[in-house]
Amino acid sequence: MSHDHHHDHTHEHHHEEVEGSWRDAQDDRPLSVARRRFLAGLGAAGVATTLGAAPAHAHDDRPATPVNPWGGRGCWFAGDHHIHTKYSNDAQYEVTQQVAKAREHGLDWVVITDHGGVAHQKFSIDQVAPDIERARKSHRDVLVYQGLEWNIPGAEHATVFLPPGRSTVDILRAFEAAYDGGVLSTPVANGGKGLITRSTSADGEPYALAALRYLESQVLAGRTEIALMFANHPARRGVDSPHEFRGWRDAAPGVAVGMEGAPGHQAGGIPAANGGRGAARGLYDASPNQDSFPGYAPTATENPYRTYGGFDWMTAKVGGLWDSLLAEGRPWWVTATSDSHRVHLDTHKQGTGDHNTTGSRGAPIDTGVPQVESDYWPGFYSSTLVGADSKSYVDVMRGMQGGKVVAVHGRIIDGLNLRVRSLGEGDNRGVTIGGRTFVRRGHDVEVVIEVDLARGANFAGVVPRLAKVDLVAGPITGPATDRDALSAPGTTVVKSFEVARTARGTVRFTHTFRRVEGAFYLRLRGSDGNRLTSDGHPVMDVIGDADPWADLWFYANPVFVDVI
Amino acid sequence: MTWLGAVPALAGEHGAAHVDALLLAAFDGVPADFVCTHVDRSGPVAVTTLSAHVPGEVDVDRLAEALGGPVVVLDDSGTPAARAARAGRDRADGRCVRFPGQSALTGTHPAAEVVAVSAIDRVVGIGVEVAPTDPVRTLGFLRPVCRDGELLLLVEPAVGGVLRPAEAESPHECCGGH
Repeated sequence: MSHDHHHDHTHEHHHEEVEGSWRDAQDDRPLSVARRRFLAGLGAAGVATTLGAAPAHAHDDRPATPVNPWGGRGCWFAGDHHIHTKYSNDAQYEVTQQVAKAREHGLDWVVITDHGGVAHQKFSIDQVAPDIERARKSHRDVLVYQGLEWNIPGAEHATVFLPPGRSTVDILRAFEAAYDGGVLSTPVANGGKGLITRSTSADGEPYALAALRYLESQVLAGRTEIALMFANHPARRGVDSPHEFRGWRDAAPGVAVGMEGAPGHQAGGIPAANGGRGAARGLYDASPNQDSFPGYAPTATENPYRTYGGFDWMTAKVGGLWDSLLAEGRPWWVTATSDSHRVHLDTHKQGTGDHNTTGSRGAPIDTGVPQVESDYWPGFYSSTLVGADSKSYVDVMRGMQGGKVVAVHGRIIDGLNLRVRSLGEGDNRGVTIGGRTFVRRGHDVEVVIEVDLARGANFAGVVPRLAKVDLVAGPITGPATDRDALSAPGTTVVKSFEVARTARGTVRFTHTFRRVEGAFYLRLRGSDGNRLTSDGHPVMDVIGDADPWADLWFYANPVFVDVI
Repeated sequence: MTWLGAVPALAGEHGAAHVDALLLAAFDGVPADFVCTHVDRSGPVAVTTLSAHVPGEVDVDRLAEALGGPVVVLDDSGTPAARAARAGRDRADGRCVRFPGQSALTGTHPAAEVVAVSAIDRVVGIGVEVAPTDPVRTLGFLRPVCRDGELLLLVEPAVGGVLRPAEAESPHECCGGH
């Protein structure tokens, strides 16, 4: 959904100093001194050598050119990069049905992502491509991308997608044939390649890197303007190890740019007593398996295999895996999607087509009876808001590549305007979400947050109420020496802003990081406040008892602040 | 009385509970009272291995045939099977598919009873304290885990104010054929 913006601000100002932290110049602990020295000496310059071809984030020299410069209030385009159709064995809808529903629920862009595999590669691609063309023609105000839910060799699933172009289908077809984990692990006798043990086994990992380099080479060769990959439901089975994220990011930094901060299947946790499936929110009910990373272990304090406030543990845990990636000073963005296969309380059931031999389930069958399922329509509950210069295929993808992305559940907010800038020497214009700015050592950095509260009801018929916004920040500690690092101990919630119960329209908060001594990053999240731990974090969702509408969050992508 | 280690051949990518059933079927007629699965990551691809405590006689060759892979009696060698046997004996790691008292825990039981009637040393709540009287709804499927010499049952809050094991018998199988 595009959002127009009014300026009926509620002003709430907060100015805070941060003492006794890593930003404190008085802190003479050896680690902090060394860290400051390191960042002063190498910082972004050291990072630049591995940044490769990410145009939005390349730093050839210091001070860095600001990335995502603040430019007033931009436009948000809501979308969903994870949608299935009858061309997935476990899904059912026509492409046009999904696109029509996405439009009905306010989305500007969608990505059709049926599961990769032998049958999909052989039979589905040639059917879905013309279906997507037709959907574009019948819904001219929705961008419909052709994509793939890629079985990442050695890991989970991922969205891969391209803008429409002469070579789009050819690239996707070649990509899937050569690099889909399902194709690679299926024996030759069954039409696959038989090259890896299992789709998720570690012998697939080199293929994943080659796959992403292949996509990047297609961009460099001019066969497509851009190609993007987002890791889907990353913690669900624990098979995306930290070194794999780092490997994907570093192999093709212009392509592998993020992950689902929140998985789809958000209706899965509705209690059976309320007519729901009584399963897990996000269908996150797994336990470690042989291909899981051993560091993702359920313990007395946490279960990485569950969602927290509907978000994946990797994103929801402050100082967790996502923060450990961001603390390297490198981009890695989060999104929210529907993963829509079969919609809760819709009356359709799967068609009777044999997907294995035709690549399609055939037309869905309308039973006339609401079905109890785990998914929502695209846009019904989960939105990925993307800031883009225009509603065009390439611009929206550039917005995603550049991290101008906010993941939103249940319309907890309508928009977010963030400005981070130097108040002293440095970048006084500042940057916005996904950006990179710089400040003279010892000077102040101002954060101005403007949140557009929901102006109307969400699709549960309720106008959601944002209760708080958390400002999360942590030091940039440089490239991880341990590629399997999964924590960022310096990252914390530095400030929580309460939203007044009476607030309407746009609320404004400010925060100043005083006398900044070292490079850091910051990010925002917000909650309806319904389900919080005693220290304000999201609560682990209970299997069979997780009404998604009663526990709404948004997560915004970070801003990096370099110190010169 | 002996500890065995094995590297079973596992058919396809099935759910863990399905694999457990196949493994336990191979133990038909073998008086094993403690059986764990382990993950051996010493090679390029992770392999599920198995350990078993057998108080009585066991025909190792027959068991190897049933499991479709090598079975060794506990030794100090560096083979995956031997590592599994030691991990089971020491309760160093692994997930336990058979243990003394398991058959008595098929309904809803206070946490204290879980510990009292079985080999489980502790009931550990994920993010919650577990009181001895807190009901644990086993759903007929318990897979406690070995950690640092203890057998722990990890539980989490469930519908109706009870606790349920963190490992479910039939977690969501992601389709798409893989």
